[in-house]
Amino acid sequence: MIKGAIAIFKRDFKKFLGNPFVIIFTLLMPIMYLVIFGNAMGGTISHVSLAVVQEEPYVTGTPLFDAVVADLKHMAQRDSPPTFDIIVYTDELKAKRALQTGVVSGVLIFPSPLFSDRPMRLYVDSSDSVTPSVIISGVNAALVQSGFRNQVEINKIYGDIKYLQFFGVGVIVMAIFMTTMMGGGIALIKDREMGIIEGYFVTPVKRSSIIMGMIASGTVRAFLSGFVIFIVDLLITGIVLQTTENFFMVLLVLFITSIGITSFMVSMASRFSNQQEYASMSAFFNLILFMTSGAFYPVIGMPDWLRWITIINPEYYAVHALRSIILRGQGLDVIGLDLIALSIFSIAAMILGIATYRRTLE
Amino acid sequence: MSTPAERSGWEEDATRNPERGGHCTPEHCVIRIEHLCKTFRDKQRTVTAVDDVTFDVKRGEIFGLLGPNGAGKSTLIRILTTLLSPTSGTAFVGEYEITKDPEQIRRIIGVCPQNSTLDSELTAYDNLEFYGKLEDVDDRILPDRIWELLQMVGLTDRAYMKVQTFSGGMKRKLEIVRAFIHRPLILFLDEPTIGLDPESRREVWQQIETLNAENTTIILTTHYMDEAEKLCGRIAFVNQGRLISLDTMDNLRLLLPAGDLIEIGFDRIDERVLSEIRAHDLVISAEVKDQRLFISARRGSTVLPAILAVFDRYSVPLTTIAIRSPSLEDVFIHLTGKNLSDGLPGGDAEQKGKGRGYGR
Repeated sequence: MIKGAIAIFKRDFKKFLGNPFVIIFTLLMPIMYLVIFGNAMGGTISHVSLAVVQEEPYVTGTPLFDAVVADLKHMAQRDSPPTFDIIVYTDELKAKRALQTGVVSGVLIFPSPLFSDRPMRLYVDSSDSVTPSVIISGVNAALVQSGFRNQVEINKIYGDIKYLQFFGVGVIVMAIFMTTMMGGGIALIKDREMGIIEGYFVTPVKRSSIIMGMIASGTVRAFLSGFVIFIVDLLITGIVLQTTENFFMVLLVLFITSIGITSFMVSMASRFSNQQEYASMSAFFNLILFMTSGAFYPVIGMPDWLRWITIINPEYYAVHALRSIILRGQGLDVIGLDLIALSIFSIAAMILGIATYRRTLE
Repeated sequence: MSTPAERSGWEEDATRNPERGGHCTPEHCVIRIEHLCKTFRDKQRTVTAVDDVTFDVKRGEIFGLLGPNGAGKSTLIRILTTLLSPTSGTAFVGEYEITKDPEQIRRIIGVCPQNSTLDSELTAYDNLEFYGKLEDVDDRILPDRIWELLQMVGLTDRAYMKVQTFSGGMKRKLEIVRAFIHRPLILFLDEPTIGLDPESRREVWQQIETLNAENTTIILTTHYMDEAEKLCGRIAFVNQGRLISLDTMDNLRLLLPAGDLIEIGFDRIDERVLSEIRAHDLVISAEVKDQRLFISARRGSTVLPAILAVFDRYSVPLTTIAIRSPSLEDVFIHLTGKNLSDGLPGGDAEQKGKGRGYGR
């Protein structure tokens, strides 16, 4: 029994050592977890954009306005950039519209100088799980520091949104990624590994046909699983979509996201000839893309260098678009940019996949 | 045997003097290989799998590429089927150059690779359909064509069963018919009968001959001598990446001395037996190796009683006795000084590497 066990051990270990790529990725994974997950989840929140408006009749700053805004501006965690980016609006309606379209995360309205003992009104984007509490505590702290005793009236513009609902949207995107990871592209590698590829490389089939065929089938699967999880998410979190239009818009976003992520994985897969290597690589990308997508934790809490990754991360746009529709009931005007970014990403991935696909055995 | 009319007249061929290789006219010549080389490099070493090979394949023939394992046959086939690119040299398949027009070449060839490339998770029908679509077979005739092929290999009742449930022979036959679903001009068969039982081999051979009768040029690699002898019009011997010889079967036989081979096993031998046998008029040579006596003799069956009589006279007991005509195997041994592989039908594994005895 021992002899057999040792033989199995030796064989397995030899294979492990013979595959430096997998070793590197095995070690890289926990390090990336530490760096990315640690930073994405525990980062200090900074640069929260907060609109401040002085009620009519507008005069250049009441004492309350000046004192609180100055305090808010200088508020910062130690060794961090300022917590708030203050944007001064003169029109309350414009400020609220900015909040609705996600340009700012909160609107703080100071009472009219004629009724200076009235409460300050604070509107926050409650679809975000973290920033509202940062804004509320920031405003309260500034108020205490300034010595005024006004009340703060808090309005959550999307009502109370639970973390479950916030996170649920991210899980829909995760479903798409998992499907592509298990399916998209792995068939290509399997074909290469098992030599089946030799059978169809001698036919006139074009390499663009091979890649597009793989992407098409992967997209359908990813879309279906995204759709199932979307429905499950609605049932579990109890979110009700406001219009049928929103429902179809979610489907559109799911579809484009599926194309984008599938294309990316297929184009990656076409460079590998070993399932193990592909598996470690895709787990690695899964981590980076999902962590920086803002699914767990708002992007605003990430350090700047990590936020750069989100700019090229299709999952970031997908999460943002889905959250806009599902949690905030926003429309094309808000998610348009996300759709464009996702489309550009998909097309780039397809071109990369087709251009780098090896249509020989070498 | 394989000497249809169109195959005669090629006796003086290109290989003995490779410079003549490219001179075959396009009407007669379907593949032209010119100084083809292929080297594989990795960190440790460089392997030359194909080493300056030049020859032509003529339209309509069954061409055999023969050689031991690792001789470079499959690499050569893979280069010709556009799966690998040559390190140097070139080749034309049809009228197309392999590195310039791989797409066009893929349209006119059918390939049955050495290892199974069937998708075992799909049914026989689905495998053929998938392939037919990739080969751009007209959708209107594809279903009929698939049933025709399934019938040809007797798998109609298994059409909707997954390939993983098939026996090795069924898989092989399915794969061969798959290769000509689009009626290719040239069919490449890499070791078509490897691992098949004698019955299945005969069926595959029959198929190959049927196809050839439909004017398909067939190039097959094999390390089975009997297969090459049975099917091939011309045979190219490849060893260690080099073309050693290319000729028709009949001409190749001429390389051997006339006569038959007699092989006698014994426990001990007497020097007098040997000298007496060697003295016989019809005996060309007699050599002892590994408890065996190899005799090359004209009209072997006539000589045999006399030889046995000698053994009898000196009371030397025999353990085995065999007589045969020289085969391709012997030609190969003659050319390379070694056996094609172990355990071949008609081959003697023991004499590997030192069996160049009889001809000399």
